[in-house]
Amino acid sequence: MRGLLRLNRFFRKYKGTVALGVVYLTASNGFLVWIPILIRQTLDELQIKGADAELAWYSLWLTLAALAYGVLLFLTRQTLIVTSRRIEYDLRDELYRHLQRLPMSWFAQRKSGDVYVRLTEDVNRVRDYFGPAFMYALNTVTRSGIVITMMFVVNAELTWWALAPLPILSVLAYWMSRYVHERSTEIQEQYAVLAGRAQETFSGIRLIKAYVREAYETARFQADGENYRKRKLRLDFVESLFHPTLNLLIGSSIVLVVWQGGELVMRGVLTVGNIAEFIIYVTYLTWPVAALGYTLNLLQRAAASNDRIREVMEAPAHQDPPDARMPAGPGILEFRNVGFRYPGSDAWAIRHIHLVIHPGEQVALIGRTGSGKTTLVQLIPRLFDPTEGEILLDGRDIRTIPIAELRARIGFVPQETFLFSDSIGENIAFGRSDADQAAIEAAAEHAQIKENILDFEKKFETILGERGITLSGGQKQRTAIARAIIRDPAILILDDSLSAVDTKTEDAIVRQLLRAEQPRSIITISHRISSIKKADRILVLQDGRLIEEGSHDELIRTNGAYATIYRKQLLEDELAVL
Amino acid sequence: MSSTGSKPEERKPKKGVDRTLIRRLSVFLRPYFGWIVIALLLTVVVAWLGPLRPYLTQIAVDDHIAKGDVPGLARIIGLFALVLFGEFLLLAVTTYLTRWIGQGALLRMRTAVFAHIQSLHVQYFDRNPIGRLITRTTSDIEALSDLLSNGVVNIIGDSLRILFIVGFMFLLDWELTLVALATLPLLIWSTLVFKRLVRVAFLNVRDQVARLNSFMQEHINGMSVVQLFGRERREAERFDTINTDHTAAHIRTVFIFAVFWPVVEVLSSIAMTLVIWYGGANSLESGVSFGVLLAFIQYVRQFFQPIRDLSDQFNTLQSALASSERIFAVLDVESVVKEDPDPLPAPTGSGRIEFRQVSFRYTEQEPVLREISFDLEPGRMVAVVGATGAGKTTLINLLLRFYDVNEGSILLDGHDIRRYRLHDLRSRFGLVLQDNALFSGSILDNITLGDPAIDRDTVVRTARLIEADRFIERLPGGYDFQLKERGGSLSTGQKQLICFIRAMVYDPPILILDEATSSVDTETEHLVVKAFDNMMKGRTSLVIAHRLSTIQHADRILVMHKGEVREQGTHTELLAVQDGIYRRLYELQYRDQASVYS
Repeated sequence: MRGLLRLNRFFRKYKGTVALGVVYLTASNGFLVWIPILIRQTLDELQIKGADAELAWYSLWLTLAALAYGVLLFLTRQTLIVTSRRIEYDLRDELYRHLQRLPMSWFAQRKSGDVYVRLTEDVNRVRDYFGPAFMYALNTVTRSGIVITMMFVVNAELTWWALAPLPILSVLAYWMSRYVHERSTEIQEQYAVLAGRAQETFSGIRLIKAYVREAYETARFQADGENYRKRKLRLDFVESLFHPTLNLLIGSSIVLVVWQGGELVMRGVLTVGNIAEFIIYVTYLTWPVAALGYTLNLLQRAAASNDRIREVMEAPAHQDPPDARMPAGPGILEFRNVGFRYPGSDAWAIRHIHLVIHPGEQVALIGRTGSGKTTLVQLIPRLFDPTEGEILLDGRDIRTIPIAELRARIGFVPQETFLFSDSIGENIAFGRSDADQAAIEAAAEHAQIKENILDFEKKFETILGERGITLSGGQKQRTAIARAIIRDPAILILDDSLSAVDTKTEDAIVRQLLRAEQPRSIITISHRISSIKKADRILVLQDGRLIEEGSHDELIRTNGAYATIYRKQLLEDELAVL
Repeated sequence: MSSTGSKPEERKPKKGVDRTLIRRLSVFLRPYFGWIVIALLLTVVVAWLGPLRPYLTQIAVDDHIAKGDVPGLARIIGLFALVLFGEFLLLAVTTYLTRWIGQGALLRMRTAVFAHIQSLHVQYFDRNPIGRLITRTTSDIEALSDLLSNGVVNIIGDSLRILFIVGFMFLLDWELTLVALATLPLLIWSTLVFKRLVRVAFLNVRDQVARLNSFMQEHINGMSVVQLFGRERREAERFDTINTDHTAAHIRTVFIFAVFWPVVEVLSSIAMTLVIWYGGANSLESGVSFGVLLAFIQYVRQFFQPIRDLSDQFNTLQSALASSERIFAVLDVESVVKEDPDPLPAPTGSGRIEFRQVSFRYTEQEPVLREISFDLEPGRMVAVVGATGAGKTTLINLLLRFYDVNEGSILLDGHDIRRYRLHDLRSRFGLVLQDNALFSGSILDNITLGDPAIDRDTVVRTARLIEADRFIERLPGGYDFQLKERGGSLSTGQKQLICFIRAMVYDPPILILDEATSSVDTETEHLVVKAFDNMMKGRTSLVIAHRLSTIQHADRILVMHKGEVREQGTHTELLAVQDGIYRRLYELQYRDQASVYS
């Protein structure tokens, strides 16, 4: 809960508006209370003067009070709720900007779904604190303060009677909204079970049909559905009680007012107008009192969400060291005894890596899945930092180079092509913010994707992803390559990024990549011998160690792991053409 | 749900279609017919009890308080309390009852949809994303929940309540009733306007939320790309735009609500004022008493609630009908693999299989199988080998009638397989699939697949036979060890052994194996090979092999290439073919294994 208080710094920015909102809300309740008072006065007037009563004035005042209340209610919502939306904006903005500065090691330790929930659901819950929770709490305090005061002014005894059922209402609302929240979570879980069962059955349909188990699966699904139904009904039971109980409590309040009030009228202490007045007071108190319990729950949930958000906000973001600078030099990349363990893992993904890559050199990495190829190249643009050893660029530890400048020199094409649901042109220009159309087209041409793009109806404006078209694997990879080479990087890293491209196109792309104006180092990961055969140097990785190094011919002569892979691929190629 | 910013679909539902939908929906409610009648009767009573209360107030004030009748007041208060409690009880019972009915109907419907989808031909599953099928059994059913569990009853209840309120008001004073209802047209009009505005605003909010969420999702998953390309500032700016639009959409909605709530409040206060003014002015002439005024003040407030609720109910009704259309569309799909209307009795022969000139294509394009012919003699083992995409798995799909052949025929015990009942045909086969299909649940359940005819002893005995007992017994809980989805915690080899046990406990005359492509860890490799040999002994079997080591003893090996049988013979015969496909495949495997053990 204390964490929530820290959130109040967001209020500070809007303190004028919030203060105004508080005034509006209080004033609106001030006018609201006039309605029952005026009604009582009218009825009293009627009782005394009969047909001669001056009703027109009272009616006018009543209408004015109602209008004033309405306008102020409007203004309250326009200030307080609107402010909560603005604060939500600020919070989300701050959170997203922070997230962008977090290192990959932070993301690697978390499920993306979890991070997503923190940025969406949790922000919404915290918004509830600034919006409804704050407004309702304030409303409860001011309205019940004013109304109850008025009630006591009229008659203390009747007030006690009228108020008696209300605390129960507040407790009930609190308990109820907590119960609903817990049960809903439970229902959601069972809902997931149900969906999981359907998923399993539908994806294993061949087996189920082969073993003629349809009836059994249906029975299991029905049992899960039955369980879901039971959980739902448990919630329904409480929900079915809530509304009637609410009715009962307010009703009792009115019964008590009519009964006790009636006796007071007969004793001449009160008028019938007072009874009408009290009945209206009671209805005015209903919602604020029920809201009290509800608000408490909102607060609890907001507090829990806020803790989760703070965990993100307090994660240390990347910060360049004060003496960071880019070294002058040709661009020699050196790995010195580099080892890396993924966060939370005991096993070394790579270890004892010594390696020097000169400008203009083409280096290829080969090895089985899990041998550490991707890990190795990810250390270069500092997606992760080495656990031991160091990586140097022109003799300077890359950790002491401004990260933006380091990355600006690197073109990285990741193994899993990630494109944004944006136009294909935007996706290519992602590599260089100031790229013009000519640059985009040149990059597309070099990556051998331009022709495909021009075949699309909207050319470079074609939208990708969910709302647009789906590219084939090879087209995606070539788009990602265009995105990398538009930067004209000094170091280009291709992490198995030509696997879905046919060999002829691949040759054309590689030839183009080597034709850069300034000397460019290319680091390629591939499973295909044909694509790395011509590299200046081939590195064979096994279980995180460099086991062989040399040109294609040298490695064939050595007759080691590389030679075995090579022969196997030759056979496969032969089979393919049969 | 698509996140496209499309215009709201202003679908004018055709009355005829809706009526069919409602009739089809009512099928699921049929077993609850008696209960529904009870719920409706109770609803009528509850709708009457609510408006009765202000009426009692009137009696209390005019007949007792005004006359100083203390015992009379106590009596009427007692009645009042009774009404109140009765309303509480009946309302609670009715609400729960309708929800209970609704949940029951939903369960029936959900199960029916599930069972129907499951009964469809395999191709349907290939053509429709699994996610969409799941949606039919989950969220589409959920969308009907509001309608079936309280929607209809609420609509009836609210309408009745309005009727009763007006009825009581007229009973008390018809002139005053007309005055009190003077603001009603304004209320209805503003509610309608509000509904229209809020619908548009909500659609806008929904679009903006979807846009924001997909940006979030994409940028969390693609954060490494954002950072690698140094796009932090630009992406933050783009996020600002989306965030701003999102906030603006919400603020627009806030505005609509900020106008609507006060309007309702003011209208109800004005209605109250009118009652007092008009009623007060006429109090002496037309006999409008204080009690009547008091009752009317309450009625005016009571009246507004059901009107607002009703307009909500019609919205749920609309969306529920849209969902039910999707559900019935699935229920209307018919399986293309059809049962013979006059099937042969279950095959009891020794299990002779013949493929005669079988051709098959999945789509209109390239045929996957071209005129395949071969025989599988009882008690023999035929192995099929070939590169990926040669059409091996398709043979199994056709044999089990997951698909039907395009040309030619497949015979079992001398009759076309299409002449048998699906159940009888499939029961003849024991299948081990390529993807090691395991489900969440205990190992025992995964083996028996819930067949009560297979007891625990049989399972344990079979496991021992193929030496899988040791690893199973080492698991916590042994045969009751709970597997995660797709058998998560087990190794590939272990999963395969479980599938072997499954195929064996069913004791089918014919075994079909689509052997796993993925490499098995060396620890279980020899177990799998041994189990395999054990299993094949004396059975008719068709093996799709990827590991050639397991099929060297096959009676015949078919080498498939691009949809045709290119070579056949025994292992030794095929190896002798110079430049043969089998020979090359064998060499490839041999080298692969050499590199594994190097």
